[in-house]
Amino acid sequence: MRRPWPTALFLYALAGFGSAALADDTIANHLAACAACHGEHGEGVNGAEYYPHLAGKPAGYLFEQLRGFRDGRRVNAPMTWLVQFADDAWLREIADYYAALPPRTQRADTGAAQLTPERARRAEQLVREGDAVLHVPACSACHGTNLAGLEPGIPATIGLPADYIVAQFGHWKTGSRRALAPDCMHDVAMALTPEDIRAVATWLSQQSNPDGMRPAPVGSFAPPVSCGALAAEGAR
Amino acid sequence: MKLRRVFIVSSMVLLPFVLALVAVLGVLFARQGGFEPYRVPHGGSRVVASDAATLARGEYLARIGDCQACHTTRGGMPFAGGRAFATGFGTLYSPNITPDAQHGIGDWSADEFAHVMRHGVARRGVLYPVFPYAHFSRVSDADLDAIYAWLRTQPASANEPPPNRLEAPADSRRMLVFWRMWYERPNADAPIAPADRGRYLVDGLGHCAMCHSTRGERGSLPPEGHLAGGVIPGLGWYAPPLDRLQLERYSDQELADYLRYGSAVHGSAYGPMAEVAYASLRALTAEDALAIARHLKQVEPSPLRPPPVAAHGDAVGGKGADLYADACADCHGKDGEGKPGAYPPLRDAVAMTAPDPINAVRMVLYGGMAITSTGNPRPHSMPPFAQKLEPADIAEVLNYARRRFGGRDSRLTAEEVRSMYGLVVD
Repeated sequence: MRRPWPTALFLYALAGFGSAALADDTIANHLAACAACHGEHGEGVNGAEYYPHLAGKPAGYLFEQLRGFRDGRRVNAPMTWLVQFADDAWLREIADYYAALPPRTQRADTGAAQLTPERARRAEQLVREGDAVLHVPACSACHGTNLAGLEPGIPATIGLPADYIVAQFGHWKTGSRRALAPDCMHDVAMALTPEDIRAVATWLSQQSNPDGMRPAPVGSFAPPVSCGALAAEGAR
Repeated sequence: MKLRRVFIVSSMVLLPFVLALVAVLGVLFARQGGFEPYRVPHGGSRVVASDAATLARGEYLARIGDCQACHTTRGGMPFAGGRAFATGFGTLYSPNITPDAQHGIGDWSADEFAHVMRHGVARRGVLYPVFPYAHFSRVSDADLDAIYAWLRTQPASANEPPPNRLEAPADSRRMLVFWRMWYERPNADAPIAPADRGRYLVDGLGHCAMCHSTRGERGSLPPEGHLAGGVIPGLGWYAPPLDRLQLERYSDQELADYLRYGSAVHGSAYGPMAEVAYASLRALTAEDALAIARHLKQVEPSPLRPPPVAAHGDAVGGKGADLYADACADCHGKDGEGKPGAYPPLRDAVAMTAPDPINAVRMVLYGGMAITSTGNPRPHSMPPFAQKLEPADIAEVLNYARRRFGGRDSRLTAEEVRSMYGLVVD
């Protein structure tokens, strides 16, 4: 497996030595604010089961989310508070740093209620096949058959806390989370019932990523819908 | 017959009072500028220069005046207005100042623009004093023209900001005339010679006093509170005094660096000042930053300024000390000395010495990240502790730190900390 992150870390460390007098000026030292909720290495924090992990997500996706918080396309006051006076160069560096870290392998250990067999079947159906009647594509059609995401803009959906996923659907529905157009997750959110959303979120939160699979490389498969995330600026 | 007598007698008794009242109102009306502010010039044929050099100067001046910060929403089109301002009287929304003729100021002449900037009265009536016209009245004609010329080159927007939501009587622009009669004294606001560069920028376009002054009744800015520091209305942050006592610990150059980079040897701009530094002061030329620093460092303390803290408190032990060692000392140092270039010292920091603990509480609750700037392109950050520390612990650790590093007899309670929860970013 391709593992670019030790090299990346080394480069960041090197850049750090060049720009500051501190001998231990790694980028992690700059991001103590992020670590408080997202974990020392972006892996998430046990017990803080709302905050998503960041490690190993596509750099383009992370960059676009950071800019979204800064520019009002995403609404979360604590995030906006921290990134609102950061320029693109710094946000890109932060995104690249977390993207290069090894992905979270654990499932999200939420206290989410277990799904009934019927609900679990419905969740898996939406994840693997989608719902033709509702015009909802399968999660896996865009997020990958292993749900580990697709470079440059589509994130992994496994290992995310159920509450976080449910909250995002609420944001997409109400317009307080907007992607670059076309905003396909808005369409998906509008088509799904609250029961479906809760079922899919719970099911996804129970999936782990023991092999540390990374997002599929750019263009390795073609999602069925056109989507702003595919054109994320992180594409390089 | 009898009625007539009563009328005559009461008139004779009341007349002096009525005359006195009219006289007082007349004097007050004259002191807010007489009729002049209400004669808004429509049209006018005066042509202002719009060559490249003038436009570049206009852009720089608009940036230093920070027009965009108030007249733009997050992610919105620059100058299209709509940003909300919470005040004690309700919520105001900034207007659209793009060149759109219908929704913006596209059909304003240079004279009308200058009049509004100077007097705070526009076609729509008297403007609310959240618009710093008392400061802009001190800007030179040439600079106002340059700003006008540059604003006209910006993209037009048809955005219509929401109507203000204010309580009576503040919802009436006519009532603002009375506010002006009591609080507006334009005679003190003559333009400052541009050669007095530091003062010109601080008291003119920079409108520093809007946050850094002690306010009087009804949001007024009395001269005795000028740059004396205070809690910023609607924002819930404390802005320190700006005078020679407060800024003694900075050299001229260090203060200039703080303004241009948002960070310097004594720490970083945070809260509303971070926005000012990012949106405006980053653009300062080295000379202008130095001129501002030199001016501020010789401002005489205002009468309303809180007395400076003389000596630092003793290091007291207890739970606050333990919490400090646990949560703070790694970055800020065990003696509050910080780490140069990374983590600011707490010794003598504003959050420690301020009479109001609100900045310290908000920083601990929500953390922060210094602004990016040419002098600090990869800023450090402070983690939020809202989900880690209980309000009682935050009170303990801040009482310890503010006593030890700020010399404040700090008696913050958990209840007070709880009352400061809530982050407003827009």
